[in-house]
Amino acid sequence: MPRLIIDNQKIEVPEGTKVIDAAEQLGIMIPRFCYHSALGAVGACRLCAVKFLEGPVQGIEMSCMTDARDDMVVSTDDPEARAFRRFIIECLMMNHPHDCPVCDEGGHCLLQDETVSGGHDIRRYKGKKRTFRDQYIGPFVQHEMNRCIHCYLCVRFYQEFTGYRDLAAYQIGYRVYYGRFEPGQLESPFSGNLIDICPTGVFTDKPARYRGRRWNMERSPSVCIHCSLGCNTVANARYREMLRQEARLSESVNGHFICDRGRFGFGYANLPDRPRRAEIGKNEASWTEAVRALANRLTISDGASEMKKTAVLGSARSSLETQAALAILAGSAGWPMPAYFADPHQSSVCRTVVRRLDEGLAVSMKEIERADWILAVGADPINEAPMLALAMRQAVRNGGKAGVIDPRPVFLPFDFTHLPIPREQMEFCLNHLIHSGIARQEADDAGEAVAGFYAQLPEEAEFEEAVREGISTLAEGLKQSEHPVLICGTDIVPLSTPDLAADHAHLLNRIKNTCGLFYILPGADAFGAAMLEASAESAFEDLLKAIEDGEITALMVVENDLIGAYPNRKRLETALDRLELLIVLDYLSTPTVDRADFFLPTTTVFETGSCFINQEGRLQYAEQVHAVGAPIRQLRGRSHPPREHRDEVPGGDPRPAWRAVADLVRALDLDEIRLYTSGPESWLTGSKGPFRFFQEKIYPPREGRILPAESEVAPFKSSIKKEAKKPEAGTLDILFVDRTFGAEALSALSEPIRRAEPAAAAFIHPKDASELGLSDGDSAILRFEEGDLEIPVALNNDMARGLLVIPRKPDLEWQTAGARFPRIARNRIAGVRKETE
Amino acid sequence: MDSEAGREEAALLNRLRTRLADFEKDRANLLSILRMIQETFSYIPEEAIYMAADHLDLAPSEVYGVATFYNQFKFNPPGKYPIKVCLGTACHVKGGDIILENFERKLDIREGETTPDRDFSLERVACVGCCALAPVALVGEAVHGHMAPSKVEGLFTRIQVEKEMAEREKRRHESAR
Repeated sequence: MPRLIIDNQKIEVPEGTKVIDAAEQLGIMIPRFCYHSALGAVGACRLCAVKFLEGPVQGIEMSCMTDARDDMVVSTDDPEARAFRRFIIECLMMNHPHDCPVCDEGGHCLLQDETVSGGHDIRRYKGKKRTFRDQYIGPFVQHEMNRCIHCYLCVRFYQEFTGYRDLAAYQIGYRVYYGRFEPGQLESPFSGNLIDICPTGVFTDKPARYRGRRWNMERSPSVCIHCSLGCNTVANARYREMLRQEARLSESVNGHFICDRGRFGFGYANLPDRPRRAEIGKNEASWTEAVRALANRLTISDGASEMKKTAVLGSARSSLETQAALAILAGSAGWPMPAYFADPHQSSVCRTVVRRLDEGLAVSMKEIERADWILAVGADPINEAPMLALAMRQAVRNGGKAGVIDPRPVFLPFDFTHLPIPREQMEFCLNHLIHSGIARQEADDAGEAVAGFYAQLPEEAEFEEAVREGISTLAEGLKQSEHPVLICGTDIVPLSTPDLAADHAHLLNRIKNTCGLFYILPGADAFGAAMLEASAESAFEDLLKAIEDGEITALMVVENDLIGAYPNRKRLETALDRLELLIVLDYLSTPTVDRADFFLPTTTVFETGSCFINQEGRLQYAEQVHAVGAPIRQLRGRSHPPREHRDEVPGGDPRPAWRAVADLVRALDLDEIRLYTSGPESWLTGSKGPFRFFQEKIYPPREGRILPAESEVAPFKSSIKKEAKKPEAGTLDILFVDRTFGAEALSALSEPIRRAEPAAAAFIHPKDASELGLSDGDSAILRFEEGDLEIPVALNNDMARGLLVIPRKPDLEWQTAGARFPRIARNRIAGVRKETE
Repeated sequence: MDSEAGREEAALLNRLRTRLADFEKDRANLLSILRMIQETFSYIPEEAIYMAADHLDLAPSEVYGVATFYNQFKFNPPGKYPIKVCLGTACHVKGGDIILENFERKLDIREGETTPDRDFSLERVACVGCCALAPVALVGEAVHGHMAPSKVEGLFTRIQVEKEMAEREKRRHESAR
């Protein structure tokens, strides 16, 4: 381990550490533009020059290109080094326009900072500056090439780190141009990181353009809630309006970057039609009135203290505080325990996940980057959890092999083996693949349980040639692998797959000594929701049954668009019609809210501090960003600044959902006074489930995994089928799936995301399409019993046969199909020719 | 673009398709392909970039990135009258940039571009070897020395006159036949 001296401070660093990083460990930030710890060094900008006084290297050198070695004596503020850096800045500034007053980067611009701190204060260059034409590069990022200082960070990030090729560098020298070949939306769903990574104002945040300087913003560390990964962000708000999000470094979750869905998906919080007043019937009411009236309605009349039996449905997008408060409310009121998933499929698979995941198996995204063999089952990372695709890409860049068993047309920005297997055969394929990649001897040596499980796995399998080849490639990779990771989706897999994936992870764990297991869940706090459901054995299907039977006449839905999420529209409508009372708490305007008899407005993640547990069981806290209230921009007429004295904030009625629950507990005069007498730490404490973590009574809690050391479920209990299930002839399976943009409920409401989303289309294999007489761009009309669904089709070769893949867009009435995984006879599909001009 | 040039270019693109097939699908061949394209067209048209990218399984941005790296590749078709303005040392001192600007203004194109009717293209060069005549401009092969803004105007008149004369000649020729 080399020992060296930097600015008179001694330090010892691991072999291969660059001097720039060694200095950073000492708290000395050497100026840099082109160096980024996630992208490595190229030595392009020459700004990190330092002087080596003694040792193996002498004189001015780039600290990002020089490995720390023994006996080095480095000075970062030697006059010669400072003069060098000042000269570099002066050269970079020659072509940089003096447009800081109208540049959005001003205030958090690295070039601005380095220019001022580097001491370049008088411009000697009097000539013309080189100019470029800017491009339209989509609704997320604003392009302004004149400001470029040619550090190459954008292209290196875009091409090397994320694996997309439509942003490139053109020309040479001071005329280097970064852009697309022709104007158009950037293809990468990680393009927003260009805004963070650009040291100056070439790429700036387009939706937040001209909306405020960094010092105008209320900034807080937050957590993204647009998928289950829980990437860390910094949220920026101004005048009670969310304006911008930036990636926040998290060593274990997202690294330095986030995806565009997370960055630009916050628009739902600012919507002008966001409900901000409590409603009784359809009449607006004050918060206190509404809670009191609600308590009255819930209490059975004639003054008895008995209460109406009420079903409670929470949500996977609510905070852990809200989910727990609902459980306490239901428990103390004598109601059935709350359910959290409207969709029975999600409920079932998520409960399996929380039962099976433990410290021995769970891996973070950082650990996925270090894996040498990754197999994803029933997962479409770029659409379901975009940052996962980026983590997998880093593993592949480091020499790892990756494969995906999934019927959908899966695209990933790196080389991987796709096995487009029908949904029912995925498990069989997985079993066969693991069998092929592990030798019998290895399994026998790993103990009786492993050998017994291994012996059940199918040795023979009949697949098409291409699939067989893919399986043998992946099996070969598995044989050589030392750090395998299994990724298991939950959106489209059969109910038993999460269990099976865990068993295989155990198998590989016993044989290879290490194997990670990584689930993808539906929702930011699906993990907490599933834990609560699992410990109470509650499910929405049971509640719905009780509503249909007339046993329960009131339903309280909290931050969940039940009507949008339940897969059988007709059944749900009938059940809702039977209700006497529908209570809805939410921060969105949804069809469910429109039907509510009582409505209480709640706050978003930006207006309350709240906890979320991501899919690997990591608990994280998102801080409050701004105060509750309508954005000042939306106050119409003469209401701002206020002309008369008022003591309330316009649109300031919404409260955290758990606050509403606490108010209700108080109004109902229930026992659980801790809900309103003290903070969440008092009622998040418990001995089981997610609450084990709160034993310390610290609130907000410390970040970390809350998994048990070992799962209570014994491994290797999955039933293994010897034969692959044959798909039914004459029918097509329909999969309703997530998309990167436009299918996730919250971000789909955000204006820039809506502009970026592709037109809705159902993917179909060309052979199926030609049998149905459909060609690319035609519309298919699916005649379900409850109604028709019309959608254009897009042909795709890289998917399973006998399948239609339809994005679950909010404006597409997919619930007409009546089932989560519907099957449709081919003769019930009609085609409509594409209109040709 | 007049239809004659359009037809000609379509034919060239067809020829390019067959010539591309001679190259192995290896990204190391990109430079040779770009040179072949430039030999075929005298410049690199946009469609050819797409075709080369398609052939080598590269993104068009990558092909364009390599092509623009080299100054020798042209992205605009040469005009019928290629105009070159010298900005070598002597011409620079004598105000060559003013001459260039006059051409730009007169033709409404910028240096490196071609007029939409493809009659004129404008380029800057460094020294044509007759510094005594500075500032110098070339129209085709003809050298015009001691250029001045008024002479730019005169040049175009002359070209116009020559053009009309050639046309008259042509018509007379045809009627005589």
